[in-house]
Amino acid sequence: MKYKDYYATLGVPRDAKADAIKAAYRKLARKFHPDVSKEENAEEKFKEVSEAYETLHDAEKRAAYDQLGRHAPGDEFRPPPDWGQDFGGAGAGQQFSFDDVDLADLFAGLSGRGRGAAGGGGPRRANRPYPGADYEAAVRLTFEQAFDGTELELDLAAIEYDAQGNARRVPHRMKVRIPRGVTDGQKLRVPGKGGKGVNGGRDGDLYLDITVDAHPLFRVDGMDIHVELPLAPWEAVLGASIDLPTPAGRVALKVPAGTRAGQKLRLSGRGMARPDGTKGDLYAQAQIVVPTVVDESQRKHYEALRDATSFDPRAHLG
Amino acid sequence: MTLEFAQAVYVDEGETVTFMQLVERTGLTEAELADLVESGALPDAPPVPVEARFSARCIVVAHAARRLRDEYALEDSHSLAVVVRLTQRIQALESELRRRRGGR
Repeated sequence: MKYKDYYATLGVPRDAKADAIKAAYRKLARKFHPDVSKEENAEEKFKEVSEAYETLHDAEKRAAYDQLGRHAPGDEFRPPPDWGQDFGGAGAGQQFSFDDVDLADLFAGLSGRGRGAAGGGGPRRANRPYPGADYEAAVRLTFEQAFDGTELELDLAAIEYDAQGNARRVPHRMKVRIPRGVTDGQKLRVPGKGGKGVNGGRDGDLYLDITVDAHPLFRVDGMDIHVELPLAPWEAVLGASIDLPTPAGRVALKVPAGTRAGQKLRLSGRGMARPDGTKGDLYAQAQIVVPTVVDESQRKHYEALRDATSFDPRAHLG
Repeated sequence: MTLEFAQAVYVDEGETVTFMQLVERTGLTEAELADLVESGALPDAPPVPVEARFSARCIVVAHAARRLRDEYALEDSHSLAVVVRLTQRIQALESELRRRRGGR
């Protein structure tokens, strides 16, 4: 197992008071939290300071850490044979197995408020049932994946406990079916796929925080989808049958004669699917697009049209 | 490494949890949860929190609050409630920004 100097990570001396440890952590959390930091490798650094604080802010874990002795960061070491017995770890006569264990795993099972585990602590705290921790994962979808539904493979670090109650992170790959019609900001639940319950407690759930990328053509509003419908002036005046792209494929849209710019044509049931199976609508908003270049023949037609009509688009302005 | 298949479902707004279940599932303290309720951060939270039931959507918000509490070492429950409300506002604005960028 490689040694990590948690005090150095937080930049505090080994005899730092609890308040100094908290202050140092808060400062580093503000600097490296991936939600706000623009620092390089912010997420990695935040994980390091979080791991250090997780151990050092808990008096019992800190005492256990201190008993590991001082080593150079990165040095291979093994905890003393009786290590952990004073901290609710392996029972009398039992010893931890340190094979394939990370330093953070060593402390994850000790008592205290666990990060990422509701209520925290390992199964050794009592024999009453404890629910498994709920896990959270951020999921980013394309518009098409959100519209049609999709299957994703998620890599999670599940926390499992051995017979002695020692926690360790176990890589866990899961294929999750995302229902169609999910929207940006929505939360989904994968029942029973969080942490394992202890002593008969229920398994936790996995919550998915959904982000949906913007689409170049379609804009989602609630369960409705909006798309721009560019029309030539003569199509707007005379009406037309337009080949319109929709998320479910192209449709022939009948544009009525006299369609105005900004007018919305509704295609019922072509929006996002709702959980109850019904669907929102798709709205095509008309835009009148004029040619920027006309040749001499076309110009004569426009001039003839101008001379032949009394239409005044500004009549209402007085 | 194992590979298992699971179905994600919409968070069921018909499902409810008690105040204490919410405390147990999220790792927040009762005081922190009570302040979240009072601040209006929990969706459709009942006015008398300890005796009432909460929509399952509250679990999601309370989880986010616990994560913020742990990751920023926030210990004052009132401040935590304020941070949760501001975070919700930022998320809503980011979502609105993505929505407006669509279809262009």
